[in-house]
Amino acid sequence: MDLSYTLEDQAFRQWVRAWLAENVPRHKLTTMEEKKAWHRKLYDAGFIGMGLPREYGGRDARPMEQAIVGEEMVRAKAPPPLNGLGIAIVIPTLIHHGTEQQKRRFIHKLLTAEELWCQLYSEPNAGSDLASLQCRADLDGDEFVINGQKIWTSGAHEADWGLLLARTDRSAPKHQGISCILVDMHTPGIEVRTLKQISGSEEFCEVFFTDVRVPRENLVGELNGGWRIAQTTLSYERGGNTLSRYARLLQQVTRLLDVCRVLQRDGRPAIEDPVVRQKLGQIYAEMEVLRYASLRILSRLERGLRPGPESSLAKLHYSELDKRVQELILDILGPYGQQVGGIPDELALEPGAAYGEAGSWMYAFLWSRAGTIYAGSSEIQKNIIGERVLGLPKEVRADRVAAQVAGAASGDGAD
Amino acid sequence: MDFEFTEDQVMLRGLVREFLSEQCPVSHVRAMMEHPRGYDRDLYRRLVQLGMLPFPEKYGGAGLGMIEQAIVLEEMGRIPYPGPYFATVILAGGAIMASGDSRAQMRYLPAICNGDLAMSLAFLEDGISWGPDAIGLSMAREGESYRLDGIKRFVPFGQSVDDILVVARSGGGRGAEGISLVAVPADAPGLVIEPEVMMDLTSKTATLRFEGVRVPAENRVGPEGGAWPAVEVALRQAAVGASAEMLGAARKALEMSVDYAKVRKQFGQYIGQFQAIKHKLAEMLELVENAHAAVYYAAWALDAGAPDAALAASVAKSTVNVAARRVCGDAIQVHGGIGFTWEYDLHLYFKRAKHLEPLYGDTEYHRERVLQEALAGRVAGSA
Ligand SMILES: Cc1cc2nc3c(=O)[nH]c(=O)nc-3n(C[C@H](O)[C@H](O)[C@H](O)COP(=O)(O)OP(=O)(O)OC[C@H]3O[C@@H](n4cnc5c(N)ncnc54)[C@H](O)[C@@H]3O)c2cc1C
Ligand SMILES: Cc1cc2nc3c(=O)[nH]c(=O)nc-3n(C[C@H](O)[C@H](O)[C@H](O)COP(=O)(O)OP(=O)(O)OC[C@H]3O[C@@H](n4cnc5c(N)ncnc54)[C@H](O)[C@@H]3O)c2cc1C
Repeated sequence: MDLSYTLEDQAFRQWVRAWLAENVPRHKLTTMEEKKAWHRKLYDAGFIGMGLPREYGGRDARPMEQAIVGEEMVRAKAPPPLNGLGIAIVIPTLIHHGTEQQKRRFIHKLLTAEELWCQLYSEPNAGSDLASLQCRADLDGDEFVINGQKIWTSGAHEADWGLLLARTDRSAPKHQGISCILVDMHTPGIEVRTLKQISGSEEFCEVFFTDVRVPRENLVGELNGGWRIAQTTLSYERGGNTLSRYARLLQQVTRLLDVCRVLQRDGRPAIEDPVVRQKLGQIYAEMEVLRYASLRILSRLERGLRPGPESSLAKLHYSELDKRVQELILDILGPYGQQVGGIPDELALEPGAAYGEAGSWMYAFLWSRAGTIYAGSSEIQKNIIGERVLGLPKEVRADRVAAQVAGAASGDGAD
Repeated sequence: MDFEFTEDQVMLRGLVREFLSEQCPVSHVRAMMEHPRGYDRDLYRRLVQLGMLPFPEKYGGAGLGMIEQAIVLEEMGRIPYPGPYFATVILAGGAIMASGDSRAQMRYLPAICNGDLAMSLAFLEDGISWGPDAIGLSMAREGESYRLDGIKRFVPFGQSVDDILVVARSGGGRGAEGISLVAVPADAPGLVIEPEVMMDLTSKTATLRFEGVRVPAENRVGPEGGAWPAVEVALRQAAVGASAEMLGAARKALEMSVDYAKVRKQFGQYIGQFQAIKHKLAEMLELVENAHAAVYYAAWALDAGAPDAALAASVAKSTVNVAARRVCGDAIQVHGGIGFTWEYDLHLYFKRAKHLEPLYGDTEYHRERVLQEALAGRVAGSA
């Protein structure tokens, strides 16, 4: 065991840092054109999808190099790239299960953000129990006809393509009648409505499908083989790059330390208040453990191990940690932590952030409440850890009992 | 001993609940979130005219106590009611009552009781502190008037009340020495009112900048330089009142979660059948019931002038701060994605409870107060 960065990694970090210092835009990117232009620049520099094989537009970069780029981007306050979810889940899905033609058609444009993607999984009645989804895709000649509704679809209002899970066999047990289909979001019959979140922003959507016709060639993998595909992609979504989450928190906490030198609590700078110091110390220790745990995952990935059910531990850890840390930050900042309009610049996370915009303490606080819900709630992660990591017997659950009664094998569900 | 509510108290709760559910539906709450004043004046007037104010009958009040105020505020937390009831009645009215200044009481309380006058209390300045040292805003006598210079932050409904009761420092002094109260009309020249935007859009607050504001000397409330004890009483009542409001928000969030867990199905069963959810809800109930005990014990202790009233007030605020945070946060978790949407009402309660958490003393402040009271022996039965 040696936890120091190799000389090669250090040199790479220096190079990335220098590139970012020169290229990070100085003003806030507002229009989609600006965001796409910045994304394209990152792509051209080789920072997008860098872990992919060269044949798909990547550079075969090691996980450590990807992590370094993620960390340095946060450090440089670089605007994030687009298509995060697409890169995290659509590309692995296509690489593992797509046809050659699909790979050639979609991967490059996704990486360059010429085409934006969304994940069309959740439905009003199929959240944690994803496998009970009802959105239908019926084969009609060489086309699927899609009818139904999706919900909580992040970025659907801006997306050009969606990775859809739909039911293609209604007579099969629930895990066995699902297919994975690529859907052009500009197809007639698709209606997207944005939903406002408690943060005041509108990032997720409802998507309605009415007789939407999609060519059969957009099927990924086998017909009715969608569940297995979803399982692999979900573990990518959960595994994710936890080091860049650490970097993002570090950025926030670095600012917090500055603010604590200015903010007065009981007649002295907050940084001198023993209670505040305890909380800051706790935050810092928690963040460091997140960094160590992330390095441990990285080193496993470096050895070529794929993220498995253990990724649930990482997801549970950082999402619950984020909630704790954001609560502590608000404790320290008192009412200023909840203030958006009129907060003095020297106490703001980013001066000028409005309600519903990233950059306020409040926004980070509210978003921490989502992390334990999306990509599998904390309860679901604990079930996975209990049953698939610890090997505990499965919970008695109505759908499993029903499946047994029906004589069908109980699938290993989304739980 | 009887920890149950009297018939009158039960009736009072019913009256307020009925009034608010009819007159202040959530559509109204949401409209007020977007409204610059943040409340409907006519609704506010009818609300105070319900006859539940704590002030003596000779001023038009109902002479009710803190227990009744806690009942009223708990109901408001369940809406959550947007308006300056707390600011006027608990903060400003509470300080005016506690000042013992009968001239000021005569001048302000009848107008408060008939709803003509909405007030607020300006306490916090740039720093976060709930003791007398927090006060730096200067108040200087100039002939028949006072001149005020300084800043106040987080003034509840500071942008939309008529008069603001300002906690100021006169004649230098340190600590409790030199603290005065003075009422300043919102339209006083030199007073710059800047609306703030807080996470809880139903709770409007403002920054007030005093740049040579002059008010007649008769606007002073209580003795010059000796108003700290009245402010302290008002803050203590505010801590208990805020706890009651947070309790209301938390209980509402719990009820919504229990209802949801009984109808939402995943994996072929109600989510309330999963122990992860059932146990969470059971813990939430435990927190809410203990919060109830803490709030009403404190309210009783204040009314009874019990020796442990200050202790109980701080026990209540520090306990409810923690409880409401957990309960409202877990309520979102139990709801899943829908709990994260603006259209669903849960975030209104989550945000109201969070808004009140740092105000009138945060958890650490009140734990410190608890310890001080305990060490000083001001505990139950110590009279
Ligand atoms: C900000 C945000 C962005 C999202 N983006 C997307 C997206 O882009 N694409 C997409 O498809 N989806 C997206 N989602 C949806 C997300 O995946 C679902 O919200 C999540 O799967 C939970 O489903 P649900 O909301 O229906 O809650 P439910 O499944 O109804 O859960 C309600 C509660 O019950 C609990 N529960 C459920 N089953 C069990 C069990 N077996 N044991 C114990 N407890 C259980 C849950 O943990 C939760 O506390 C997003 C959600 C959020 C909040
Ligand atoms: C100090 C002590 C004194 C005691 N005195 C007495 C006495 O005077 N008289 C007497 O009759 N008994 C007594 N007991 C026994 C006590 O009542 C049992 O230990 C208790 O009921 C738990 O039973 P168990 O030990 O068989 O554990 P189990 O019931 O096997 O429980 C093991 C674990 O599983 C959990 N568990 C079990 N069922 C569920 C469920 N449905 N849902 C979720 N979790 C579950 C438990 O919470 C526990 O964590 C005593 C025990 C102790 C430790």
